[in-house]
Amino acid sequence: MLLFIPTVVVERGWRNIVLAVRSLWLHKLRALLSVLGIVIGTAAVIALMAFGEGSMQDALADIERQGATNIIVRSVKPPDESATQSRSFFAVYGLTEQDYERLHNIDTIIRDVPLRVFRQEIRYLGSMHVGRMVGTTQHYTIVHQTNPIAGRFLTADDEEFRRNHAVLGWTVAKQLFPLQNPLGETIVIGKHLYKVVGVMPERMPTGGSGGSQAAEEFNDDVYIPLSTCNSRVGARVFLRQTGSRSGEQVELHQVTLTVSNMDKVRPTADVVRDLLVRFHGPKKDWAMTVPLDRLDEAKRAKNRYKMLLVLIASISLLVGGIGIMNIMLATVTERTREIGIRRALGAKRRDITFQFLIEAVVQTGIGGILGVVLGLGIAIILPWLWQLITGSHLPAKIHEGSIGLSLGVSLVVGVLFGWYPAQRAAKLDPIEALRHV
Amino acid sequence: MTTVVRIIDLIKYYELGSVLVKALDGVSLTVHEGEFVALMGPSGSGKSTLLNLLGCLDRPTYGHYYLAGQDVAGMPDDQLSDIRSRFLGFIFQQYNLLAQYTVVENIEVPLLYQERRLTEETRQRCIELAELVGLGQRLDHRPMQLSGGQQQRVAIARALVNDPQVILADEPTGNLDTRTSEEIMQLLTRLNQAGKTIIMVTHENDIASWAKRVVRMRDGIVETDELNTPHWLRDGATVSA
Ligand SMILES: Nc1ncnc2c1ncn2[C@@H]1O[C@H](COP(=O)(O)OP(=O)(O)OP(=O)(O)O)[C@@H](O)[C@H]1O
Ligand SMILES: [Mg+2]
Repeated sequence: MLLFIPTVVVERGWRNIVLAVRSLWLHKLRALLSVLGIVIGTAAVIALMAFGEGSMQDALADIERQGATNIIVRSVKPPDESATQSRSFFAVYGLTEQDYERLHNIDTIIRDVPLRVFRQEIRYLGSMHVGRMVGTTQHYTIVHQTNPIAGRFLTADDEEFRRNHAVLGWTVAKQLFPLQNPLGETIVIGKHLYKVVGVMPERMPTGGSGGSQAAEEFNDDVYIPLSTCNSRVGARVFLRQTGSRSGEQVELHQVTLTVSNMDKVRPTADVVRDLLVRFHGPKKDWAMTVPLDRLDEAKRAKNRYKMLLVLIASISLLVGGIGIMNIMLATVTERTREIGIRRALGAKRRDITFQFLIEAVVQTGIGGILGVVLGLGIAIILPWLWQLITGSHLPAKIHEGSIGLSLGVSLVVGVLFGWYPAQRAAKLDPIEALRHV
Repeated sequence: MTTVVRIIDLIKYYELGSVLVKALDGVSLTVHEGEFVALMGPSGSGKSTLLNLLGCLDRPTYGHYYLAGQDVAGMPDDQLSDIRSRFLGFIFQQYNLLAQYTVVENIEVPLLYQERRLTEETRQRCIELAELVGLGQRLDHRPMQLSGGQQQRVAIARALVNDPQVILADEPTGNLDTRTSEEIMQLLTRLNQAGKTIIMVTHENDIASWAKRVVRMRDGIVETDELNTPHWLRDGATVSA
């Protein structure tokens, strides 16, 4: 008996679903149009969730690449320098060895990597590639979370003995040694000879959206010991420009600091900022990037998407719900006679309520499914189109939960807005309903 | 003889603004199992009103109604629905089939509203009923694909599916031509001969002449109530099977 009654209910439910589909099939176009609001609402939920999630994941991946516990301090050429100090032959700016020492002594910093970067011609036999010569130390691989795919990275010995060793970035290796193993070969950077000891893997450029930092491409790099770099390239660098000669003096282009743990990143960043402000004064010749800040930014972006989502979804679901209510009221009027017949043949009021409620829910459910398909389509096709047209990346990541959520919401809309018409149907007087033409 | 329907002093008033319409003004009637009653009378005499009350579609203003021994006059709505689905069969002038359903599914409808499962068995019973009314070849057709007479046959099969105590028919031949009407009346007569109790409203003497008892109404009361020898018995003919 306990099993018997639920089976009856389940069968009745199923029969009502089949009936609803058949009844809707008699007015296909009308059913489709009336469910449009639900389709759009659901699609909006799916697509916006995908974009929100996508930008979040993008940011997380970016933070991962840059190191969540890293703080990056770079030298920046102050915008006013060339104008006010036009007499000066040299533009002197940026981080100094002294800065580096001070930063080095902050006790929450467990590792630091100084960088000097110069645009240079890199040659091997007849081939040439213009890339970045990067002077750095052995910790570079740890701090930037990368490892050579061939050979080794620079070592403490390389640094101490100022060896002429070089580690090639992926593109450089490809360009100069298309067919050949570069390890052990001798290349020329600028005017000097270096022996290739390692090759780095292909690396994704960092996102350009991280505050003041421009997108950075690593595959054109050649890494040499910082000490070697300092002895080859003096503090002052001459730049040849048309007509005039100018130069600049930058001791260090970048220092990447690794903090002992995630919680200390922000306090440490404050200390670093204070230090630099104290010693550089008003001169804005440095910039600091905290990859972890991207997280907040991404969270804000996600929240923006979420608010937009809630707004669009609730408006279109409201409109959709009213559309359903409207069409169900029309349906009930149209099918008054059917209701009378069913009542005469033994249907109780609740059977009629159930029938029309199911019909409303089937309708919004179908709308929900169409919306999910549309939303998934948008989340897949729009980034692709965006890439094609603007060439930039629009991150989207389909969120499985959003599918269940939006389908659930469309079913709830069906129940809420189908309730009143179903009640109207159930309250009809059987005799009057039978007399209806 | 078992009493199927017993009504005592049934009164149905409609209030239309200040006017009181006395649709039924004290009707008493007893119908036994196996009877075939024709309800006649001029338009507005209260035939449909009475049939609706007998069909538990409506409740009387005053009076008693015992259906198969149960007092149904004061029952709540849900219980009346239950009575309709288990004890009554309806045949309407307009056939009143459901457009979404096939012939078999239409016959099945009264069973949908009983607390029982639909099985192969019940489906088989519907098919047999369709065959009984001569529509064995059209089980999967929709009402739209059937003629009026065929639709009324489906309605008759539907009225039989729950094995009712009484079949109520309101002008079942009202929309049909003479020949088709005759076929339908033959079918009803056969059912009556098999033991079904039938109460039928009609305007036409020809149709009423198939019944075994004729009740005439006027202005909400029973005018005459007399036994009738069905015409085919008078002519000495038999109803073809
Ligand atoms: N819902 C109602 N509201 C008000 N008056 C009604 C209602 N239903 C029936 N009546 C009145 O009750 C009386 C009896 O109507 P009923 O429909 O029973 O007549 P009938 O004998 O079936 O007539 P016909 O042969 O034309 O079908 C009529 O005067 C009718 O106007
Ligand atoms: Mg009538």
